[in-house]
Amino acid sequence: MATEIKEALQDIIKRTKAYNCIECGKCSSVCPISLLNEACLPRITVNKALFGAPEVLLKNELLWSCLSCSLCYERCEFDVKFHEFIRDLRIEAYKIGQQGIYAHNGAMQSVMKMMTSPNLKQNRLTWLSKDLKTHDKGEFLYFVGCLPYFDAFFTDLELDTLNIAKSTIKILNHLGIEPVLMPDERCCGHDLLWTGDVENFKKLAQHNIEAIKRTEAKKIITSCPEGYYTLKEEYPKYVGKLGIEVIHISQLLSEKLSELEFQKPITDNRKLITYQDPCRLGRFSEIYEEPRKVITAIDGIELREMERNRKSAICCGTCGWMGCGTYSKQIQIARLKEAENTGADLLITSCPKCMIHFKCAQSDKDVDKKAKINIQDLTTLVANSLKERR
Amino acid sequence: MAISIDNIQKTLDTKDIYLKFPEIAPTTYTVRKIQLSPCKVGCPIDTDVKAYLGLIAVGKFEKALEVVKSDNPLPGICGRICVHPCETECNRNEIDQSLAICSLKRFLADYELKKGRAKHKPIKSIKKEKIAIIGSGPAGLTAANDLIRLGYKVTVFEELPVAGGMLYTGIPEYRLPRNIIKTEIKAIKELGVKIKTNAKIKSLNKLQKQGYNAIFLAIGAHKGLKLGIPGEDEFEGFLDCITFLRAVNLKKKVKIGKKVIVIGGGNAAIDSARTALRLGSDVHIVYRRSRKEMPANEWEIEEAEKEGVKIHYLASPIKILGEKGKVVAVECIKNKLGPPDASGRRRPVPIKRSGFKIEVNTIIPAISQQPDISFLPKDHGLEISKWNSFVVDEETLATNIPGIFAGGDCVTGPKTVIEAIAAGHNAAKSIDRCLQGKPLKEKTKLYERVEYEIVIEPKERKERIPMRELSLNRRKNFKEVELGLTKKMAIEEAERCLRCGLCAECSECTPDCDKRLVALSIPGDTSGMLLRVPIDHSKFPLNGSPLQGKLSWADVKEVPVIMEPITAKVISDLCRGCGDCEEVCEYSAPKLQACGELNRTTCGEISRTTCGEPTSRTKQENGVKICSIEESLCKGCGVCASICPSGAITMNYFSDTMINSLSMKSAAETKIVAFVCNWAYPMTQDFETFNSIPLIRVMCSGRITPDFILKAFMHGADGVVGIGCSEGKCHYINGNETAEKNFEKARNILYTLGIEPNRVKLERLSPDEPEKFKEVIGFFIKNIKKKVK
Repeated sequence: MATEIKEALQDIIKRTKAYNCIECGKCSSVCPISLLNEACLPRITVNKALFGAPEVLLKNELLWSCLSCSLCYERCEFDVKFHEFIRDLRIEAYKIGQQGIYAHNGAMQSVMKMMTSPNLKQNRLTWLSKDLKTHDKGEFLYFVGCLPYFDAFFTDLELDTLNIAKSTIKILNHLGIEPVLMPDERCCGHDLLWTGDVENFKKLAQHNIEAIKRTEAKKIITSCPEGYYTLKEEYPKYVGKLGIEVIHISQLLSEKLSELEFQKPITDNRKLITYQDPCRLGRFSEIYEEPRKVITAIDGIELREMERNRKSAICCGTCGWMGCGTYSKQIQIARLKEAENTGADLLITSCPKCMIHFKCAQSDKDVDKKAKINIQDLTTLVANSLKERR
Repeated sequence: MAISIDNIQKTLDTKDIYLKFPEIAPTTYTVRKIQLSPCKVGCPIDTDVKAYLGLIAVGKFEKALEVVKSDNPLPGICGRICVHPCETECNRNEIDQSLAICSLKRFLADYELKKGRAKHKPIKSIKKEKIAIIGSGPAGLTAANDLIRLGYKVTVFEELPVAGGMLYTGIPEYRLPRNIIKTEIKAIKELGVKIKTNAKIKSLNKLQKQGYNAIFLAIGAHKGLKLGIPGEDEFEGFLDCITFLRAVNLKKKVKIGKKVIVIGGGNAAIDSARTALRLGSDVHIVYRRSRKEMPANEWEIEEAEKEGVKIHYLASPIKILGEKGKVVAVECIKNKLGPPDASGRRRPVPIKRSGFKIEVNTIIPAISQQPDISFLPKDHGLEISKWNSFVVDEETLATNIPGIFAGGDCVTGPKTVIEAIAAGHNAAKSIDRCLQGKPLKEKTKLYERVEYEIVIEPKERKERIPMRELSLNRRKNFKEVELGLTKKMAIEEAERCLRCGLCAECSECTPDCDKRLVALSIPGDTSGMLLRVPIDHSKFPLNGSPLQGKLSWADVKEVPVIMEPITAKVISDLCRGCGDCEEVCEYSAPKLQACGELNRTTCGEISRTTCGEPTSRTKQENGVKICSIEESLCKGCGVCASICPSGAITMNYFSDTMINSLSMKSAAETKIVAFVCNWAYPMTQDFETFNSIPLIRVMCSGRITPDFILKAFMHGADGVVGIGCSEGKCHYINGNETAEKNFEKARNILYTLGIEPNRVKLERLSPDEPEKFKEVIGFFIKNIKKKVK
């Protein structure tokens, strides 16, 4: 057993270039978690992997506290992929029965695992109304993701996550695209993969790949950065090539900006907006400018950047529905205050989870008044600004 | 905790209890606390003064006495002779006059004495260790009372023929009647404490050899100090105050002359003077400073003067004059006050050629006392100070010899009863920790002392109700001078209390939480708990460790069981520091503690020029906090867990892991999973299962999380039923509403996953309707089975 773990660890060190670490500590100096919790230092963790006992490492607190936001990788001059390093360690830890502490008592993990069942007859598209035009087969596939489940679960946060899906279809329709929606779509598996449950992740991926192929689509559009990154980058690694292009809605929009017709603003007052870069879209996929291009194209909107933006953006505080405690809250509140400090009236994000996490932090009764900024998804902003056609 | 409106109106003013969620839960109230009250902060033993005052005000005298007794085993004694620092701290001092807290305590003790009480049942000793306490004064008695309740065998050794120490031999009967001392000692004896009188200890070694695992030295300070002036040892007519008071109090014959001089200005001096007065003498007190510096209680000095004691201030004896071997006079010198000395009081400076004589037959020096350690053999090995007192660790009361502790006057020199009681509590705690093999030093103080800021304006100015007293002409005997308060007076006085800090902490609103919840399980059987029973928390160790016990029922003979207190635990990874738990806990067990504040350093920005790990990780008070639970305060009621919004607080024996494993088994084997709220659960033997379906107990229906339901289906269940308390009967806060929400979430998710939502049902039942319980569960099972077919 121990030798197996050692071998696996060696493999991870090689793959993630952890051996490059010169212990400069730049990773720890930017890590949002380690700024709050002294027990969690990326540098120390890598050091332990290189020189310590792997068994101990697999029980390390940071293993599950890491946000996998990849801010440290951005900072690392020696190309150590710490976020992937942690993810792969989690996979090893999961194999020997270790687990993170799940938020919401683990309900989200349960939902994802239940979706691995082959004989599921989901009611995931009941929200589709007549004005939203879709097809069973076609060129464009809209991968809805977990939105229907978020809508069912987060009933007390006034989120209306399904609005993101509705807005996306509305925008696609506006561009003349009538997307395919899959009634048997499963969770993309992102959170299972990042919490170490690679087996169930593969099952979900397999289901999805088969379902996607049945639609004969040429392009997959997602409104969720996690879905985007997982489908585009992880599926080929773990299950095999999709052979279909995956694009995030912001990419599509920035490409087809000229085809979008926006309403003329009612007043001359410019609306001030700030933008949160989701980790999977920003640092993971380097899609920084597309969403900004879309936002600034809307009439009457001025984009005000937060102090830490693009590559330096701070994560929404938690990942993979794990351990959403006081440190997460502190990160969220600090980020929300940063947004508020820009003077903007609205915080736009393009990830439903950023929105859930921020709104949850705002729902705490003792929340700082300076963290009360309104939050909206990019798709909602765009859809609401479009001119009604015909 | 659901509180009925009736109760609130009867017991408390509405300012203490408010509707937290008026729109969501109009019948659920929250108790608001702001700060500890100054009286509690002032008391060396943290007595819940406000609580018993509040209860007296509404006529709940028995409950009030219970509150008093939970901190103090000697209420009748303290109610008479305590120096009541609580009254000094009382906020009402700044308005009109402090509350008569001491007299109100006495009223409660008198009330019980008049009414009579049921004999205490002896406490079963569950621990094998034996403890010897030397001295039966307030420190010794308090320690004995605490230790017997912790399950130790306790023996108190008293050198004198009567128990009570200085209470009996030092304090005169007119202040503290003997029957009061006897009654309160009897109550302690009834619990199983052995008190051996006429038992002089000669060697501590021998005691240890006799099998005493710990010794508490509480011998007091019974040796009167000499004046150290010429003539003192030459003539007859000297009687130090301790010997004098002891002789009078033990009803021995005491010869004192017609004219008596008491030298000194402390309480012992006043007691001696008033006692000598009652024996028919003409009494003078000589004190070297002025009245302002006199250490005796102001009210005692007043009474002495009223009764006819003459006090000579600013005078010191310098020589004793005698004739025929007997004292005839004292030569004194007048003093003026110089600069302050080490005690902070101004030093008396003799005035030259100011000598004067007082003719006298008896001199009673009452200048100070020291512990009498002459009983110890020379090689005792204990560290002794230059004042003949034991040297101990201030915090733990441990002497230099392991297993031997000392406290009270024999450590501090002559101090007050309440300080001796505090020492007794402290010693008991240390002895328990010592015998349980725990480090002695660990937070022994549960509260932090804080400056008090908020003063509430009373509706009207009103001076305190004066104590009834024996008239002066009827005081030529040892009858008690103070006569106590009547019921009407007590209520009127207690109503003056401003209840600083809002909540009265009377616990009236939480009748079911008086007891500590304990889970019983069979050793070696990991399948879970056998029973959840409330146990009087005073009988249970406060440190949250499990106990071995035995249980017998029906024809089953004693089965060994483990008794483990149910306490709340915090999963710190999930705690978001909202503070709801702190607000709802009646016992201040959850505490929010500051943790790191998001602290950007120059390195926080991505740049290639600076490096290094962040250097200033300061912990800031105003940062986001994290909850921790003080186990010794937690009674296991679960109210914090029931309201915790992030699910960070769980109760042991109700942990998610345990419930999920039970549910997994049930889902696989019986296809039906039933979660039942503990409080809605009919506590009879035939309700462990229903139709072979195990009834899985949860703390509150509000804690049946959506995940419990999802996991049940994931593991193969066909249906899930949850049973909660009937409407308005939730034991906690919003349990029913939370359950509704959780079930709704689970149904939504299940529907989206393509599972019929009506396979999940939430029912509300009362525990005293087992028939209806059977009917409801039976109906649900039948329905589900029909669906599966």
